[in-house]
Amino acid sequence: MYYFNEKEIVVPGQLLADDPKKSGPGTYVLGGKVYAAQAGLPKLRDGVVVVIPLKGPYKPEAGDWIVGVVTDVKPSSIEVDLGGYLTAVLKYPERQGPPQGLTVGDVIYARVKSSNIRGIFLESEEMKKLTNGIIISMTPARIPRLIGRKGSMIALLKKETGCNFWVGRNGLIVVSGKSSEGEFAAISAIRVVEKEAHSQGLTDRVAALLKSAKGRNHDDREQGDKAN
Amino acid sequence: MMTESKEIKLIDEEGRRVDGRRPDELRPIRIEAGVLEKSDGSAYIEVGRTKIFAAVFGPREVHPKHLELPDRAVLNCRYHMASFSVDERKPLGMTRREIELSKVLREALETVVFLEEFPRTMIDVFVEVIQADGGTRTAGITAASLALADAGIPMSDLIAATAVGKVAGTLVLDINDIEDKYGEADMPVAMTPRRNSIVLLQLNGRMTSEELKKALEMASQGIKKIYQLQIEALKKRYSVVSLEE
Repeated sequence: MYYFNEKEIVVPGQLLADDPKKSGPGTYVLGGKVYAAQAGLPKLRDGVVVVIPLKGPYKPEAGDWIVGVVTDVKPSSIEVDLGGYLTAVLKYPERQGPPQGLTVGDVIYARVKSSNIRGIFLESEEMKKLTNGIIISMTPARIPRLIGRKGSMIALLKKETGCNFWVGRNGLIVVSGKSSEGEFAAISAIRVVEKEAHSQGLTDRVAALLKSAKGRNHDDREQGDKAN
Repeated sequence: MMTESKEIKLIDEEGRRVDGRRPDELRPIRIEAGVLEKSDGSAYIEVGRTKIFAAVFGPREVHPKHLELPDRAVLNCRYHMASFSVDERKPLGMTRREIELSKVLREALETVVFLEEFPRTMIDVFVEVIQADGGTRTAGITAASLALADAGIPMSDLIAATAVGKVAGTLVLDINDIEDKYGEADMPVAMTPRRNSIVLLQLNGRMTSEELKKALEMASQGIKKIYQLQIEALKKRYSVVSLEE
């Protein structure tokens, strides 16, 4: 038995289900019942009740892709700041030296290997050093919306702006494009996604915004082409 | 008691209080969530003439570092009254009373927040009283729990609070400054409304055990009403997001 409506926002402490096995992220079990732990939209996903928070801190999970800034290089490990309160560790064999010659201040895109009481560890094989682009941050809770269903939103942004995106689940995003106009359009689109994350028809609005941004820049670009 | 009631009549012949309320009536309450842009979560509450902002920052790095806990977050709470919040200017800085209330608020909030989800971090809660007219600790805790929920920090329940007092021999709900000063007793109560567990209970003055029971019952009725306003505020905060078409 479920006690919620998927379209209505739940508040912490609200009863969601009777079966303690149905407790997913954003919920907790007390006395054999499932309650909401956060304010957000409740959903039944893979047979468990989850609460999708509308705002909130990032909680790392193994397999998440993150964007981080190197804050310290130690003899066999690198400390990476995940945008605020979390620090992840990237280990490497001492005699090889830091992978890809990483130094303090470098931005990396990496996958979380494990996250538990011992700390957050990053996968070193798939790690990528990001050398150019603009780093921006947004609410981690809204990153899934930016990626979109099966990556639809980010694919749209890529196609319309011609920029490359590295989206970290921790809320940091690196945008890198050939022209500053494209990057500007991409960042304003990301801001729209952040502001209106849980509204209907968002993809269409973002598409329209990108079209108009492109229209505005169209003349500049043509002039630029002629000059070349 | 007679000498007091000659100076100020706390309950008139019709059974109404100094501000015209019935004994079991709350002051007009306004609650809003998400009012401060730079904070991670915030709330504003007005209970009669009491006005309070609450802001939540974090989870973030612990400073000073030695306070850090390896298995859970540190909850740091600051209850502070603005120097212009009372009739006679309050000196700047934290007074003995404010330090104590910060601790009382922190202990109440610690019972609902899932601190073990954020080890080695600190969650800061700031409660700033802009205007004080009695019941600031209860209004403060109501706002603080709403600010925590607004920040998206996992918690088992919200907290709502109000005070019950005894003035001119009658139990009255949600006492204001005058009733507090000239009344016989003041009992702030904070509860988690869904499970009815008491997370803060203080008593200044005297009450018989029957009066205490009745006072708790009155407080719990008031708290249910405040809780509804809290939920409304939280839902309104986010409906703005989902309605932006």
